[in-house]
Amino acid sequence: MRQISSLPMMTDITFDFDGVSYAYESGAKILSNVDWRIPEGAFHCLVGRSGCGKTTLLKLAAGLMLPTHGQVRFKGELVKGPSQKVGFVFQTPALLEWLPVLDNVLLPISLQGAVQAQDRKNALELLELVGIADLAKRYPRQLSGGQQSRAALARVLLTSPPALLMDEPFAALDAITREELQDDLLRLVTIRKTTVLFVTHDIAEAVYLGDQVAVMEQGHIPHFVRIDSKNPRSKNFRYENDFAIYCQSIHEAMIQKMPVGM
Amino acid sequence: MRRYITSLILLVSLLLFWETIVRLVGLSALVVPAPSVVLLVLWDGLLVGYLWHHIWVTGIETLLGFILGSSIGFIFGVILGEVDNLRRLIWPYVLATQVVPKLALGPIFIVWFGFGMTSTVVITALICFFPLVENTMTGLQIVASEKRELFRMLGAGRWKTLVYLKIPAGLPTIMAGVRVSIVLALVGAVVGEFIGGSEGLGASIIAAQGMMDTPLMFALFILITLMGVLFYQITILFERWLLRNWSKGEIQ
Repeated sequence: MRQISSLPMMTDITFDFDGVSYAYESGAKILSNVDWRIPEGAFHCLVGRSGCGKTTLLKLAAGLMLPTHGQVRFKGELVKGPSQKVGFVFQTPALLEWLPVLDNVLLPISLQGAVQAQDRKNALELLELVGIADLAKRYPRQLSGGQQSRAALARVLLTSPPALLMDEPFAALDAITREELQDDLLRLVTIRKTTVLFVTHDIAEAVYLGDQVAVMEQGHIPHFVRIDSKNPRSKNFRYENDFAIYCQSIHEAMIQKMPVGM
Repeated sequence: MRRYITSLILLVSLLLFWETIVRLVGLSALVVPAPSVVLLVLWDGLLVGYLWHHIWVTGIETLLGFILGSSIGFIFGVILGEVDNLRRLIWPYVLATQVVPKLALGPIFIVWFGFGMTSTVVITALICFFPLVENTMTGLQIVASEKRELFRMLGAGRWKTLVYLKIPAGLPTIMAGVRVSIVLALVGAVVGEFIGGSEGLGASIIAAQGMMDTPLMFALFILITLMGVLFYQITILFERWLLRNWSKGEIQ
């Protein structure tokens, strides 16, 4: 099993998977012995086929599930349950349809107590940043899929969590909308220096977004591919030669189970 | 609009058919009264005003029983939906309240609460109880797992998850229970009056039967039906207003 070549200082590690395994009570193994360190401020992507354990790994990082063996640490502390320092973006926007968009964005705060005028202002600014400020008073059913995803993004960013876990958040969107949202996401997490673990089954998405791509198969992560390109990425990166080469090497890693260069 | 006209034409044709049959065959009004006779009795009763009192009594009994039964049902549904152990313990008894023939309980309610409104309201409440328990329990459990996980990530405890997620998310299902409940409430009130009432539309049917006044019985059927439709339509309108922001056909 390959590791990232240079190990950063422990304090700079945001997510640390140390020999993590997960099995159902029935004995079915989902993850076995995953070692992975995600440094602070990094954008790591996890690709793999459906059902290979990507989402399970993400939920272990979130504390929504606990590993059967090994440990998950968040900033050096053992993960024992969900933390509000970690934002989670789901496969669906998971908006509450009975609340207007603005109240949906404010949910992380309204669940903890009274919403202040400043929070409202922050939420509106975030809606501005994700480009749907004019939809603040609308209800989720009045929004397109892309707009709903933007609202979900604004919601998770409201409390400025230092880390984001994202579970194929753009999978259901059309290609153009997805590209727009990818660029918006990159822009926002770069400004905030947010650490991101992004799960996707789309190789191109992983290469475009991540500075490192982990390839998962059947509960293992046999390959890590570092993506060396200008950061923040230019929109042209998608059409560069390097991009295709990265995609190809990851694709081969996924189908041939062959080690790839980093 | 055209739909309504078609329905109206059908209604008028049916009434005409009924009228013709009764007149041609020469059926006695004691057996099947002609619609013209029934409508005349109904019109008289409403004009003279003695029917209004019974409409009022049955209406109040229905509403009181409905409010009492469905609120208790809702609370039970929430508790049973939330506490698994309690559900296993209490569910058989809740089910028993549903399967027991409630009319058979009528006489015992009369012993406990006397003749009159209280017994009828209690029977009505008992009938309205179950649909709300069942639908509330189901409604709370069908919340999409992603939304439940979202609330866990946001640090919401059990109470906040219940109030801000499960109940609103289950509201379409709960309202379906309310719709069933309101219709059953009227049936409960009328039948309750059969057993222990001296006032109301149900009691009036028994009284009319005693006097062999079949046209009055038919007039009362019409009134009860109209009341049921009215209650149901009001519930539908309320539900539409309440759930106006919920996406249609998608329960999450």
